[in-house]
Amino acid sequence: MMSVTDNLLGNVFGIYLARATDEEILKRKVASGGAVTALLAYALEKGIIDGVVTAKRTEGLEGQAVVARTREELLETAGNKWSIVPFASRMKAKIEEEDLKNVAVVCLPCQAQFFGQMRDFPLLESDFGERIKYIVSLFCIGTFAFEAFLNYLRMKHGIMAQDIKDIALKGDFLEIYHGDSVLSLPIKEVYSYLQAGCLVCTDYTGTWGDISAGFVESEKGWTVLITRNLKAEELVKSAEKDGYIELRDGSHVIGDVLKAAREKLARAQKNMMYLL
Amino acid sequence: MSMGKLKVLHVDIGGCEGCNVSIIRAYPKLMDLIELDISYLRKEEYKLDEYDVAIITGGACMNEPRILEELKEIREKAHTVVAFGSCATFSGILRFCRGGQEPRADHRNFQPINSVIKVDYSIPGCPPTPQMLQSFFKFYINGDEKRLRLFKVSADIKKLSGFDLIDDIVLTGLCIGCGACELSCPTNAIKLIDKRPNLVQEKCIRCGTCYIRCPRASQILCMGGAK
Repeated sequence: MMSVTDNLLGNVFGIYLARATDEEILKRKVASGGAVTALLAYALEKGIIDGVVTAKRTEGLEGQAVVARTREELLETAGNKWSIVPFASRMKAKIEEEDLKNVAVVCLPCQAQFFGQMRDFPLLESDFGERIKYIVSLFCIGTFAFEAFLNYLRMKHGIMAQDIKDIALKGDFLEIYHGDSVLSLPIKEVYSYLQAGCLVCTDYTGTWGDISAGFVESEKGWTVLITRNLKAEELVKSAEKDGYIELRDGSHVIGDVLKAAREKLARAQKNMMYLL
Repeated sequence: MSMGKLKVLHVDIGGCEGCNVSIIRAYPKLMDLIELDISYLRKEEYKLDEYDVAIITGGACMNEPRILEELKEIREKAHTVVAFGSCATFSGILRFCRGGQEPRADHRNFQPINSVIKVDYSIPGCPPTPQMLQSFFKFYINGDEKRLRLFKVSADIKKLSGFDLIDDIVLTGLCIGCGACELSCPTNAIKLIDKRPNLVQEKCIRCGTCYIRCPRASQILCMGGAK
């Protein structure tokens, strides 16, 4: 059991269900529970970090790297990420421009891997791993090859990129909020529009992060938080103590997370046979 | 000398000294953990008969039997052999030697260390930073094999460069456009164009840093264990 957990979910220090206590965070279009936003707001307000670097969806599925230094700026970035920006290269510029010394990055497993490797293995003098205090990785089923996906939405469903307000995962369906209506697509149908690199990725939770965060169907309205080391554990616990998040034990949902991780691994193995 | 210190040998078999300087810079913070026998601080002979770790820098010129013998000798003396820097790991810029060139016109065929002896860990970089060596020893002493897996796997690879990154990740369609490679290239040979890396071939010094920093490539390497 340990070795399976170790391989698929990485190092698990603690697993929790968490929820923001702040009404304003909860009523935003946050993916689930708003715990990541609340946790980072806590770290910003207490001066534990001096900035959060993350992606913000701009138009359609395009995103850009942004720095949030305050709770308000953080709220602007909340929500699902469905595209990947040349984030690593932009991030360095952002950190240097704004002279940030202790940042939290909110990213996808692949980006968490890059930042984690950079922090653990500082191969280059130009690396900036020592400035990254927390790596927060979001659970990920993949990112869209968004030109292809948008083209599909336009051709098959008549949805234009600029009309997309939000995208959310509900069970086995992907909900596209556009104009005044919602389109529900079976997740299997949109797999072909994920980037090929994502189809061979084996990491669901972001094993290189300090904290991984995501969602399970059985606990709607709660964020699953996996802490991977003492530093992350302390942040989560102190945010609870200071009333920024509600926290419950999450050991009963580890099976759900493992199942999703296994599915991603199985998908990767199948696709690797075709692609590599 | 305290009991617990690792006995570490450094041998440079020919390079630009960049890696050596990196090791010297790393040493002050490693003094509590290792005792370093380094080429700068000895005359000819190695100080000891046995070492816990040997760090080898520079590529192996196959036209220098003396070097090849020395490598075999180190392998026998050391429990763990670490190839440090791109010349030692993947032959790096030494790949461009083809004989007839100054200052050593007789050098025409460089190979990574693992063409001559079994290597346990390969740490590429041109040069890797002092902090990298400190990290390595931290994980090595803690027995953190999971963290060191990438370098363990790299020890069986003889050639890795921007060209391999383009072939294995970009041309196979596996690139997701994260930009890790662009940030990792010490010569700015990689630029992202339309969210995909473009390699300026003349600038690539075959150091392999981009490849092992690519999340997709390093994930596949660590999973498969061979290239």
